[in-house]
Amino acid sequence: MTQRGAGGGEPPDDYLEAAIQRLLTERTEIAEQGITVSRRDHSVVLCGEVESAQRREEILRLVLEHFPEVPVMVDIGLIRTQAPTEVEELR
Amino acid sequence: MVIRIAAVGDVHLDKDVVGRFRPALEQLPDSADVLLLAGDLTRHGTESEARCVATEFGNLGVPVVAVLGNHDHHCDEVPAVIRTLEDAGILVLEGTNVVLDCAGVRLGIAGAKGFGGGFAGRCASEFGEPEMKAFVRTTSAIADQLGEALREMDCDVRVALTHYAPVPDTLAGEPPEIYPFLGSYLLGQAIDSAPTELALHGHAHAGTERGTTPGGVRVRNVAHPVIKQAYSVFHLHPPYAGATAGKVSAISARGSS
Repeated sequence: MTQRGAGGGEPPDDYLEAAIQRLLTERTEIAEQGITVSRRDHSVVLCGEVESAQRREEILRLVLEHFPEVPVMVDIGLIRTQAPTEVEELR
Repeated sequence: MVIRIAAVGDVHLDKDVVGRFRPALEQLPDSADVLLLAGDLTRHGTESEARCVATEFGNLGVPVVAVLGNHDHHCDEVPAVIRTLEDAGILVLEGTNVVLDCAGVRLGIAGAKGFGGGFAGRCASEFGEPEMKAFVRTTSAIADQLGEALREMDCDVRVALTHYAPVPDTLAGEPPEIYPFLGSYLLGQAIDSAPTELALHGHAHAGTERGTTPGGVRVRNVAHPVIKQAYSVFHLHPPYAGATAGKVSAISARGSS
């Protein structure tokens, strides 16, 4: 997990979660609907999985750019793309 | 005889993702007869992103059949997206169907994007403001097309392919508050109107893999973040004609239309 921002300070505003969620969806260079934004005592945590490391960086950059005062923790993984090792038999 | 179906949805391709799926896809013809793509193929629906999908999922050596998702509609370039995919041999279903010959077994696939509205007892109604009525009518029209596309096929095995979910079972893990934006019971009702063997969908990234319709059709959420692999493979064991009729009767007896 990466921690960015100053830390401490006032807890983020209730509306911040919604603002970040909409930013990540509606900015078309991101267009991510699968990121959860949750508020902790003194930071917000971005959680979820994306299709490339570049997207993870873009998400962090965009959030820091728009909310420079907010301490952000990022816990975003890459979705695995290995071939399946098992099949499901449907009888 | 087994029909082997590979499926994945919500791959959200753009240039940064091209090549990630390809190593697994090179192995696909050894393990599946067809690949179904359950929508949200692109990041936000540009022709350029559709070319990335064509590069990644074209020329696989097996038929590729897709539906679009909400992301594929975002830039209002749907005709160009479809043309780009179909130029690469990826068939796009929009309330339509296709019957493929899988070693002598006729596999029928009916597909539609679907839309939201929610599930029985907690769903939107065609009532009130024009915007609300238009929302529900959109889902209703798509569900009607899907049901018709399923019923009219002359085939041995039917599979339904959507982006939005036909049941709430496979949404478990998503916040209940957003279920009406993730699917509609009308899609499930359409699937139950035909002797469907399997229903595949995507869209719900935080959902779960398995569910069934009220009529007993197995439903699988194949959204990439859910299956956490390049694609899932399902083996369908086609019933004899008599057994199919028996299953339809059994479903009807449970009150499904």
